[in-house]
Amino acid sequence: MAAALLAAATAGDALAQDARRGAELATSCLQCHGVNGRSQMPDIPSLAGQPADFITIQMILLREGLRNAPAMAPFAAGKSDQDIQDIAAWFATLPPGPPDDRRARDAALFAAGQALSGPRHCATCHVSDYGGRNQIPRIAAQREEYLLHAMTQYRDGLRAGPDTQMNGAVMGLSNADLAALAHYLAQLD
Amino acid sequence: MTIRRHLLGMAAMLMAGPAFAQAPAPAAPVPGWAVGRPEGSTLAPHAARLTVTPLDQVPVSSIRLPQGFQAEVFAHGIPGVRAIAEGPNGTLFAGTRAIGRVYAITRNPDGTTRTRIFAQGLAQPNGLVMIGNSLYIFAVNRVLRYDNVEANLDSPPAPVDLTAAFALPTEQEHGGNHHWKYATLGPDGRIYTNVGVNCNVCDTDRDKFALLVSFRPDGSDRRIEARGVRNSVGMAHHPVTRELWATNHGRDWVGNDTPEDSLLRVRRVGEDFGFPYCLGTWADPQYNRGRACGEFSQPAALLGPHTAVLGMRFYTGTMFPEQYRNQIFIARRGSWNRARLSGFDVVVAHLDAQGNVTRIEEFLTGLRDDASQRFADRPAEVHVLRDGSMLVSGEQMGAIYRITYRR
Repeated sequence: MAAALLAAATAGDALAQDARRGAELATSCLQCHGVNGRSQMPDIPSLAGQPADFITIQMILLREGLRNAPAMAPFAAGKSDQDIQDIAAWFATLPPGPPDDRRARDAALFAAGQALSGPRHCATCHVSDYGGRNQIPRIAAQREEYLLHAMTQYRDGLRAGPDTQMNGAVMGLSNADLAALAHYLAQLD
Repeated sequence: MTIRRHLLGMAAMLMAGPAFAQAPAPAAPVPGWAVGRPEGSTLAPHAARLTVTPLDQVPVSSIRLPQGFQAEVFAHGIPGVRAIAEGPNGTLFAGTRAIGRVYAITRNPDGTTRTRIFAQGLAQPNGLVMIGNSLYIFAVNRVLRYDNVEANLDSPPAPVDLTAAFALPTEQEHGGNHHWKYATLGPDGRIYTNVGVNCNVCDTDRDKFALLVSFRPDGSDRRIEARGVRNSVGMAHHPVTRELWATNHGRDWVGNDTPEDSLLRVRRVGEDFGFPYCLGTWADPQYNRGRACGEFSQPAALLGPHTAVLGMRFYTGTMFPEQYRNQIFIARRGSWNRARLSGFDVVVAHLDAQGNVTRIEEFLTGLRDDASQRFADRPAEVHVLRDGSMLVSGEQMGAIYRITYRR
């Protein structure tokens, strides 16, 4: 009984996932998300080192038409649960890192973002190194303009996760606040 | 132990105050959901599982029941399954939250089940009501009615859109908080549902949020049945007294053991259960606003801290022993906002002849492992079938369990 409980306890580890199969399935992903999973394209997020549960859940939200990201629609449509989980498992194995074109740190903006991160409890869910866990994404070293886009969507009610924590987390923040948070998080490694 | 945990929670809360004061002033005020939330806590909601769980991994063998009861897998491969409504011909409709689907489950002649995706792409379609041959789906503020539904499971007709008539608050108005619905048909032919609060805790519009409300089935004649109810995601009417009973979630971030989730008995239309000021005799340490808790209606029972009480049904069948007749079965989906797991089970609230809760019995257990602090599934709904057996939906593993009794 204990073994069964252990095996089934969290969303990702109950089903056998095949990262090697995922690597083959993910070839079309890399055109935009980067050959090493680190996106070099504006507005496209890096997936290297993202928790597998996060990628799986987001792909299902995209597949089901519940998350609006038109560029992803043709890739998510009709994907089986197993394909999605294998792709997610592979991206999770890739070492994360910033994009090659990450801009230089703006000390004032970085400090402003850091100051917001405490009261907004970002690390509660995203973990102190902002590497994410389970359904919660890695946001350290993510592309800055993508972070701003994602947080703006959550704030403006244009995106919801599997729960509504992120909508609450950014509620009431100004555009300048979000820009500061995005810069701070993008600068972390 | 309970007191110590309580004190630890209080200490964490008190520490949060000075931390806020010393930090650079944030550009925007801390939102209601974060009040009392200690910096440094790593508690977060558990990951939803939106993929199909193979049958051999559905943890039915972990389930423990009182003597004479058995559990079996009734249906599986239903990611996110929650609320259940039954059609006159026996079709079971099941709502979900994150995956946006409503499933239709029918029984094959050999006793197995067939599951169809009846509707999809909806926002949190958890609220389902059957009235005659019509299925009502409540997806946040959207209300859709599918007529003659069981005759058209494979090609559902275009629904009648009743959204404007019900005029429930939108996801935006809720600020993304507690906007999903549970819905049930009352013995008076009205639809009863919840309007959860638009925050974790806040001074809210108490005529708009934190309510139980009812409507005529066309969406007219909205009536506040109860106010000061933070969020109810399960309700049912007593089969004899016809009183409305409801489960209610307590707020987060104010300690491991406070406040408790609760069972509410609505004796008078419009009575006030005290949110955000009080829950029972417990005064909210930040939002009491000097109110005496005695001025509010008291819960019929406390159901444990952060247990996440969801679906509830009065047992009206005859298969189970007589002692369960008209008693309340309650699914406790299980905690996240607590250092140690609580819930992940089904309990029974036993009532005396006057309708007072005399005790809470653990009924379906085994899904929570206290040693490893892991869980195998999350019960989200109970439903009594016509043969007297009981269905329990397991949201995490996308399965519905059937509970039967043999002497």
